[in-house]
Amino acid sequence: MDFGFNEEQKSLGDVVRRVLADFPSLLAPDGSTQNDAAVWDALAELGLFALVVPEARGGVGLLLVDIALAIEAAGAGLAPPLVASTLIATDLIVHFGTAAQQAELLPRIAAGQLRISIATQEAGQGYDPEMIATSIRDDRITGTKLLVAGAQQADAHLVLTNIDGQPGLAIVMSGAPGVDVQSQETIDPSSGLAELRLDGASLAQNAPLGHSSSEAVARLYDVAATVNAGMQAGIAARMLEMSVEYARTRVQFGQAIGAFQAIKHRCADLAVRVDAARTVAYYAFWSVSENAADQSRASSMAKAYCGEVAREACNETIQIHGGMGFTWDMPLHRFLRRAKVLDHAFGTPEWHYERVLAETLTAAPASESPPLPVGSEK
Amino acid sequence: MDFNLTLPEQQFREELRTWLADALPTGWGKTSFEPVDEEERAMFRIAWEQKLHEGGWSCIGWPREFGGRGATLSERAIFAEEMARARAPESVNLIGHNLAGHTIIHHGTPAQKARYLPEIISSREIWCQGFSEPGAGSDLAAVRMRAELDGDKFIVNGQKVWTSYAQYSHWCLALVRTSDEGTKHKGLSLLLIDMHSPGVTLRPLRQISGECEFNETFFDNVEVPVENLLGPMNEGWRITMTTLAYERGPEDALGRQIRFRQELDQLIVATAALKQGAKCAIDDPLVRQKLGRAVTEVEIIRLNCLRALSRYMAGEDRGSDVSLIKLFWSLAAQNMSEMAVDVLGPMAALTGGDPAAVAGGRFQLSWLQSKAFTIYAGSSEIQRNIISERVLGLPRV
Repeated sequence: MDFGFNEEQKSLGDVVRRVLADFPSLLAPDGSTQNDAAVWDALAELGLFALVVPEARGGVGLLLVDIALAIEAAGAGLAPPLVASTLIATDLIVHFGTAAQQAELLPRIAAGQLRISIATQEAGQGYDPEMIATSIRDDRITGTKLLVAGAQQADAHLVLTNIDGQPGLAIVMSGAPGVDVQSQETIDPSSGLAELRLDGASLAQNAPLGHSSSEAVARLYDVAATVNAGMQAGIAARMLEMSVEYARTRVQFGQAIGAFQAIKHRCADLAVRVDAARTVAYYAFWSVSENAADQSRASSMAKAYCGEVAREACNETIQIHGGMGFTWDMPLHRFLRRAKVLDHAFGTPEWHYERVLAETLTAAPASESPPLPVGSEK
Repeated sequence: MDFNLTLPEQQFREELRTWLADALPTGWGKTSFEPVDEEERAMFRIAWEQKLHEGGWSCIGWPREFGGRGATLSERAIFAEEMARARAPESVNLIGHNLAGHTIIHHGTPAQKARYLPEIISSREIWCQGFSEPGAGSDLAAVRMRAELDGDKFIVNGQKVWTSYAQYSHWCLALVRTSDEGTKHKGLSLLLIDMHSPGVTLRPLRQISGECEFNETFFDNVEVPVENLLGPMNEGWRITMTTLAYERGPEDALGRQIRFRQELDQLIVATAALKQGAKCAIDDPLVRQKLGRAVTEVEIIRLNCLRALSRYMAGEDRGSDVSLIKLFWSLAAQNMSEMAVDVLGPMAALTGGDPAAVAGGRFQLSWLQSKAFTIYAGSSEIQRNIISERVLGLPRV
């Protein structure tokens, strides 16, 4: 048993953190997608997008758990959302893409030349993948997706769609006829959320993604939940760092406010939650990497819990910073906004807690569990 | 990162599983249960611990020379898992196995090791912990119980409180004041006190759960031989702080997690059977989300422990990280117990002997018991001080 990261995994996280720190615009008060292309190029030059591509397709052949700390750093650094969505889509193509799709798409991903957004949400729909209207007819896809992060900069879109009455996945190239993107006004402009209209658009390599659509959709939700959880843990950890730094330096009543228990205990509670968020996120990365039996449960645990913690960390950090925390010029609101977007992408904590219970009951139905001995109540 | 078991770990698990299946009473958990009466239950659990010892499964983390297995941290985690799976009885001699045992192994004289360790590992002798006093709770260094050296013995006078299982204990690991020189931390020592000595009296303390697990313990001119001093004179505080890292550490929390998980399994079973009109409690989306959240938090307790054990295996020192673990599990378990009672709906108030009580009132009892989690083994406020000052580096007041 080993629940730790090796040196390569740790240093990858450090490198991504440093690269993102070279772009102060990522944390600027006015969040935008303006510099996203430059950030993308820097990360591509690092080789980030080749890491989970198999060696045979021009990649390094690593697992998601190997890049967990890099994803955490991407969250903490408010990296462009296409970084995460491309990594998620890569995993799906590796697992479910047809031979033609893998041959065409994976080398381009590895070279950092294919940015992929993920389009699931539709108007009037909740979080359940079963409730979508987008569908494929005669190998053409039609439907309208909302809140597609990075859709305007993306070269391709991974789309949740009905295939023969079942939810499935398809890839649509940005330049294809019948593909239109309109930006949406949202709480987090830096997420580049947009509406994606598909009107009889053709599918990449003329086929849906995957021989098993239900498995592909389940894996999308598992991997996306895990990656988002990793980014949420990153945001929470960064908030804790900033809170502690501020508490150490801000002086009131003649001493650093971090000497007051009212402040230090809030920081301590946050530290416990951040540590737990990392724990559950890291485990989910391992579980989805191994295709472990509990991967859906583990990823939902991570998404639900890290979502809660990121939310709490952003809220607490603003309060610990007092009036400064409420100003536009402090970047705290940027994290608050991003965390809220991530919280609602691929299911809220409530949606995932329901999934945790459903998965728990599937693994061990309540009717089959033996009763506990009466009188062992301690 | 790898949660798969190695071949030796798999063999270890199989050996333990086989032994447990044979050692537990026939029909355990189905037709055979622990006694309901508090004292009978304690005796039952002590007998079980003795059986564990006979099978070679007591104090598996101890070095082989003292009768343990020298188990790796991985094996200890597997042990906790398997005990959970088998729903094995709880330990009464935790203080002996973890606190007293560890301290004697690390700080005891050869004679003390020879005298005490075999009796601890076999649970022929049960131990209690004499740390807290009426005036020394969170401020543990304020201990006032005095031990005056008088020739070849100490004369001990004072009072301890919250002494769990003192009524079943042969020995007490006591923190006593042996000097008033210097700061209050400097004059403390550890004594091994025979609980059957003349001058030791107990008064059971009834807890909010109605149980009497702990006691007030009075020491009135109790004579303790000088060879029962554990570690150097006036070094008791330093030694205690290192042993408390074990009390609050991942091994302890893993053991507790087992109980929480069993309780949660039982709650899920209860909500699946609990009618609320045409549906059952478990069909209510809010109940489902609460259960899902509890499943998550209880699993995080386990994963936090595995993460800490992995750090130690990688060579990192045990330190203030145990406060993160303790604060997390205590709050998570308290949340779970509160939730457990609430999801029973209108039946929440029925307890114990009432025939309509859900699951024999176990959730109400646990709910009351859980209030202690954030008080003992270092209150949450003390843990927060430790975390903010020693983990986060915030200034001390």
